[in-house]
Amino acid sequence: MIKVGIPRALLYYQYYPMWKTFFEELGAEVVVSPLTTQAILSSGSSRVVADTCLPVKVFCGHVLALIGECDYIFIPAICSVKTKIYNCSKFLGLPDMTKAVIPESPPIFDIDIDINKGKRELYRAIYKLGRRFTWNPFKVRQAGIAAWQAHLKYRQLMSIHGLTPPQAIERISNKSEAKPEIPPSSPTQTQAAIAVVGHPYLLYDEHINHRLIHRLEKAHYKVLMPEMLTAEELKLATTRLVGRSYWTYEEEVVGAGGHYLESGVGGVIGIMAFGCGPDSLMMDMVHRRAARLRTTAFMSLTLEEHTAEAGVVTRLEAFLDMIQRRKRSQVEVCV
Amino acid sequence: MEAYLGIDVGSVTTKFAVLNESDELVTHVYLPTEGKPIDMVQQGLKQIKQQLPKGVDIRGVATTGSARYLAGVIMGADLVKNEITSHAVGALRYFPEGQTIIEIGGQDSKIIIIRDGIVTDFGMNTVCAAGTGSFLDHQALRLNMSIKEFSQRALDSTTPVRIAGRCTVFAESDMIHKQQMGHRIEDILYGLCQALVRNYLNNVGLGKDIQSPIIFQGGVAFNQGIVKAIQEELGSEVIVPPHHEVMGAIGAALLVHEEMAHSHEGSKFKGFGISEIKYHTSSFECQACPSLCEIAQLSLNGQVLARWGGRCDLWERSPTS
Repeated sequence: MIKVGIPRALLYYQYYPMWKTFFEELGAEVVVSPLTTQAILSSGSSRVVADTCLPVKVFCGHVLALIGECDYIFIPAICSVKTKIYNCSKFLGLPDMTKAVIPESPPIFDIDIDINKGKRELYRAIYKLGRRFTWNPFKVRQAGIAAWQAHLKYRQLMSIHGLTPPQAIERISNKSEAKPEIPPSSPTQTQAAIAVVGHPYLLYDEHINHRLIHRLEKAHYKVLMPEMLTAEELKLATTRLVGRSYWTYEEEVVGAGGHYLESGVGGVIGIMAFGCGPDSLMMDMVHRRAARLRTTAFMSLTLEEHTAEAGVVTRLEAFLDMIQRRKRSQVEVCV
Repeated sequence: MEAYLGIDVGSVTTKFAVLNESDELVTHVYLPTEGKPIDMVQQGLKQIKQQLPKGVDIRGVATTGSARYLAGVIMGADLVKNEITSHAVGALRYFPEGQTIIEIGGQDSKIIIIRDGIVTDFGMNTVCAAGTGSFLDHQALRLNMSIKEFSQRALDSTTPVRIAGRCTVFAESDMIHKQQMGHRIEDILYGLCQALVRNYLNNVGLGKDIQSPIIFQGGVAFNQGIVKAIQEELGSEVIVPPHHEVMGAIGAALLVHEEMAHSHEGSKFKGFGISEIKYHTSSFECQACPSLCEIAQLSLNGQVLARWGGRCDLWERSPTS
């Protein structure tokens, strides 16, 4: 059986169930790299071209971790997922860059996803990928449909049932899917809700974000994520903030940030990666909105390769203090 | 007399402040950390004890600054608070009408935006420490002058030179270049002050709504050149409060006073005797998972008091095992 490796980085968090279903439907076995560790990050940063961003370094580390574990590595070049919306150049060139910096990597299955070229090109790209496994186009078509179904279900688990991507992935892979129940909200969540917005590869990689979500939950805050919003809500909020989005994956930053700022949560934390151009532009939009609204506390955190967690911890503590003291003063004013 | 002790263990200096029950500053101590936070906490404590009048009852202890957890364990702190909140609370005690706090310390710089006495926004330098106290110290050392002389001579500048302050490495090579071209040292020093202030405002102050009254505190506020450069750049008066260098410690003491007023328990303070105890610190690499965390531990007579530095709670949960 062919073993296809998928690096647990970048778009893994967005599309893993879809990719896994597609390959398994075509008779392959899917292997995922382990959770990010310091060793993975260090090995990745030692390979990349100069001046790249943290998420790409993490990605290269995960590719290195898959060497010897699989026959092929799946790295799509996702150029656009909506018409006239563009992706960061690092996504566009991901398979080529990987080949260049990790020559010893197993052969790469790459596929160009570019909706700008029309649906026909998309289907052609999918068939091209499927033909690596079978010559029967109907089988590829079937695998494609099953993959899309898996993706919709994954989205639903998150937007309707409030699961995080890792929780949803676990739910899907465990097949214990009689009925997806809402995770019981623990009674300790006594504080206000804090929304954390940003790309899933930053929010759910506990190594690079220094367990930010865990820290918030430990301080008894309910944490809200972009994935818990429906596509419609994200789109509406993006339109209100910037009109038409320009970047792919803009909605999880601008849309989610805008939505939560307007919906009266206790605070919004924006997470971005050091060295990311699109992030710095998108987060600025959210920051400006927060400054104009003045109702909800906002903070942006930039993640980099620092091993010391002090930067994240100090800012987080100060942010939570700010929210609490603000709330307390409002209560005093009312009294 | 009841008193509250605040300790701010920063990267470069360690600060102590003791407040009485009406939150007035009784005494303070300002020491260089010199890379030995534990020794300095002990030494400072000894000095504080000498300076305090007889019969002072410490009713609460708070620690802040980058070594706040370490200092908290040693002292038996009732409150461990981040330096941003501490600085804001300290400054507001003296200037309740303040709207912006600029704080430049040894390794980091912050901006705190305040409206109606409440923190509404803050910023801290991210990946770059350009423009903080340790760089100014380094430059003074390179030019073979004290930081006091640096501050005075910068004020004598007539035509400041332009220096790129984005990065300390570039700033230093710019300074050397200007010096080799024959520019006056005063003009180079003030040019550096201007560059650092520009860098601060473009980096830490980016997108922040800076309104007066502006309070400038932290160790770097001793530097008259920087104070002048900030005033010029912002076109506004800047207030340097008295005891600005220990403001974080004052804030921590205020916070612990507030905390203890709501608490029914007594202080966990271990007493002034701890300045005589020999603490031992060590570290090891955890092998439990591939994360290979560096765990630091503090021990006393072979018994571990605290451990931290892990990505998970494994060591923090069970310090004794």
